[in-house]
Amino acid sequence: MKRRELFKAVAAAGVLAAPNLARAQGSKVLRFVPQANLSSMDAVAGTQYVVRNAALLVWDMLYGVNAQLEPQPQMCEGHEVDADFKTWTFRLRPGLKFHDGAPVLSRDCIASLKRWMVRDTMGQLIAGRMDALEAIDDRSFRFRLNKPFPKLLFALGKNNAPTALMMPERIASTDPFQLISEYVGSGPMKFNKSEWVPGATAVFEKFADYPVRPEPADWLAGGKRMLLDRIEWVIMDPATAGGALQNGEVDWWETPLPDLVPLLKSNANIAVDIADPLGNIGSLRMNHLQPPFNDVRARRALLMGLSQQDYMQAVVGENPGLWRPLPSFFTPGTPVYSEDGGDILKGPRNYEAAKKLLSEAGVLGAKVTLLVATDVPITKAEGEVTQDLLTKLGFDVDYVATDWGTVGARRAKKDPPSQGGWNIFHTWHAGSDCVNPAPYTALDCGGDKAWFGWPNSPKVEACIADWYAAPDLAAEKQAIAAINRASFEVVTYGPTGFFQMYQAWRKNISGVVKAPFPVFWGVQKS
Amino acid sequence: MYAYAARRILSTIPVMAVVALFVFSLLYIAPGDPAAIIAGDQATPADVDRIRASLGLDRPFIVRFGEWVWHILNGDLGQSIFTNLPVSHMIAQRIEPTLSLMVLTLILSIAIAVPAGVLAAWKHGTWIDRLVMIMAVAGFSVPVFVVGYLLAYTFALQLDVLPVQGYTPIADGIGPWLRHLVLPAVTLGSAFIALIARITRATMLEVLNQDYVRTAKSKGVDQRSILFVHALKNAAVPIVTVIGLGVAGLIGGAVVTESVFAIPGVGRLVVDAILRRDYPVIQGVVLLFSFVYVLVNLGVDLLYTVFDPRIRY
Repeated sequence: MKRRELFKAVAAAGVLAAPNLARAQGSKVLRFVPQANLSSMDAVAGTQYVVRNAALLVWDMLYGVNAQLEPQPQMCEGHEVDADFKTWTFRLRPGLKFHDGAPVLSRDCIASLKRWMVRDTMGQLIAGRMDALEAIDDRSFRFRLNKPFPKLLFALGKNNAPTALMMPERIASTDPFQLISEYVGSGPMKFNKSEWVPGATAVFEKFADYPVRPEPADWLAGGKRMLLDRIEWVIMDPATAGGALQNGEVDWWETPLPDLVPLLKSNANIAVDIADPLGNIGSLRMNHLQPPFNDVRARRALLMGLSQQDYMQAVVGENPGLWRPLPSFFTPGTPVYSEDGGDILKGPRNYEAAKKLLSEAGVLGAKVTLLVATDVPITKAEGEVTQDLLTKLGFDVDYVATDWGTVGARRAKKDPPSQGGWNIFHTWHAGSDCVNPAPYTALDCGGDKAWFGWPNSPKVEACIADWYAAPDLAAEKQAIAAINRASFEVVTYGPTGFFQMYQAWRKNISGVVKAPFPVFWGVQKS
Repeated sequence: MYAYAARRILSTIPVMAVVALFVFSLLYIAPGDPAAIIAGDQATPADVDRIRASLGLDRPFIVRFGEWVWHILNGDLGQSIFTNLPVSHMIAQRIEPTLSLMVLTLILSIAIAVPAGVLAAWKHGTWIDRLVMIMAVAGFSVPVFVVGYLLAYTFALQLDVLPVQGYTPIADGIGPWLRHLVLPAVTLGSAFIALIARITRATMLEVLNQDYVRTAKSKGVDQRSILFVHALKNAAVPIVTVIGLGVAGLIGGAVVTESVFAIPGVGRLVVDAILRRDYPVIQGVVLLFSFVYVLVNLGVDLLYTVFDPRIRY
């Protein structure tokens, strides 16, 4: 073949002139860019949000919270509970099936609950007061507790990981500390393992036998009616995702970078809105075991100088609608929100008073090892503000720029910073995890058993116990106020502010709702 | 030559053993903890410890290394800590995009850079020579990811003639396959084209001043034959050497290019594995890369004999 003939053949075949071929996909196929790489599918053994979000498609729950965070029946027809909240009897809806065609039975739910209880804080509380979890028949089972547990339905229906997802007994028998490798659930979508390319794509296909509840969908409650046949998760770099969304190669981007939002908003084909009404709480986490922050005066001095405005502007940019000050440890706008004890974060920052307090504690000018995960935009932004704050307060800052994988390992070390430990690292907590103490691991003040930083305050622990025992909303509010006050007294951690993130989608997609996780039921593509 | 090739292939075994020990040791001493990543941000330290124990990451170095080597000797690269999928399966899933990208980049680079270098040498000192050298300097100077984003912006977002991202397997048709790979290949090849063009020009300049070229000219041999038959063949050995060395650069560049264009290749696999400390995947991919590199060098050595019959092994 001569060169001219080759060029003609190539042109005739339309090799390079088929600009929209990639978009020739059915309107029942949604291409979604998740917040992170989906590296596993076990939302019980792991607590990564991206894993939880994928798992919610594949596995169903006995109960599910709605937008008011009230648990509603999902796989269950309903329940019966005795007057003292000790005996709870549940009955499954008829016709529930796993993706392999097997019926969902009581024994599957019991095995799933037992695995979940090992990993979940509320589950551990239930297990600690449980005499028996027993099957009555194939569709009914019962908890017999030796102490009341009024919040059982919330525990079963909460959206926070570890989430109480129902699996076949053979899968639920997996060690709770090992990841499962078979992904069979009874949720509205099946996971297509053969098309899974970890780090690149994950594919979910509609489960035709899913019995949709008749009620309207409301977060994890109501009818999870799938209007899509196939959902493809495609993992990509943020800049690439921005281009792909503009070009119509993907339909929905879960967490666009704030820097790219103005560009996306200027595109007539793209809708941009707040993703999660419950937002996030930024966290400056101090090590309570090592000097200088083993002294509560040093921790309080840090709060006296901490400007939430500085942190939030660094995290979300100049958009004032995306953040607000947070003199609290709890999610604003929720029924039990409290600012009791939060005055230390209000008003102008007082560096001189903070330095005076540090001087009294004998730690003025002390060395502080600050771990900053620079591969995560939020922690990088927080870390830079903290470096500035520490410098203003006269500390000798050892700024350790590293990646999140290293921070994750190093923060577990209780050793002095000179021996591989640390003084400060940053993270953030999903607002839905901070609505009450149950899913809020970072609030725990149990010393050695507490979350990284190991804060120790019997007073906070007592207040948390009061919340668990609270019989009504008024008592819950009182307990939360006391927790907030006690947490500021001990400075469990430094809240750096409340912020929200955007989500963006093509305007031919409808039914996108605001929630702490992407809600795919009810979404359709025209 | 066959005996030489066989010896070289056998010599990869100790090389791979050293690479294996080096990679395993490096990962052992590197900070990071896959257990903490699996557990997620809400997990307690005790949870992380239990997961680490269940993964066997709390066992001594020598035990873990011995076990890994034993599995490799049995043809098993192990399983990903996160996905529980066999590492060999994960690599197999991603080898086609990476190979496609590298082969297309090599073809594009050679097809553009060698004629450009020859042309620059032939027109030495003219505007053509300067233009080629300016392009070469630009190719070296602009980072790969900048080239990638600029090309995507221009050809995908502005002109709408090529996709921003993704990959289509060659089995789905050469057209879609090529459409998804053109921009990544040009991006990845930008520095490589510059390198080959410069080397070709320099070597050709030297060869074109040789006596035999002058003799060929005086005998009336046409210019094309002088350049591409007589001179280029004699200049080929250093060019082939640079191309061989450049393949290592391509492997590194593929990591960035695959990320920019969301190509599900081995480069992205290893970056994700490093960020998550998925040790079996990192070890498997690095072994694969080193094996490929050894083979490429062997190929280069064998090519020398084609271009210069005086070379014998």
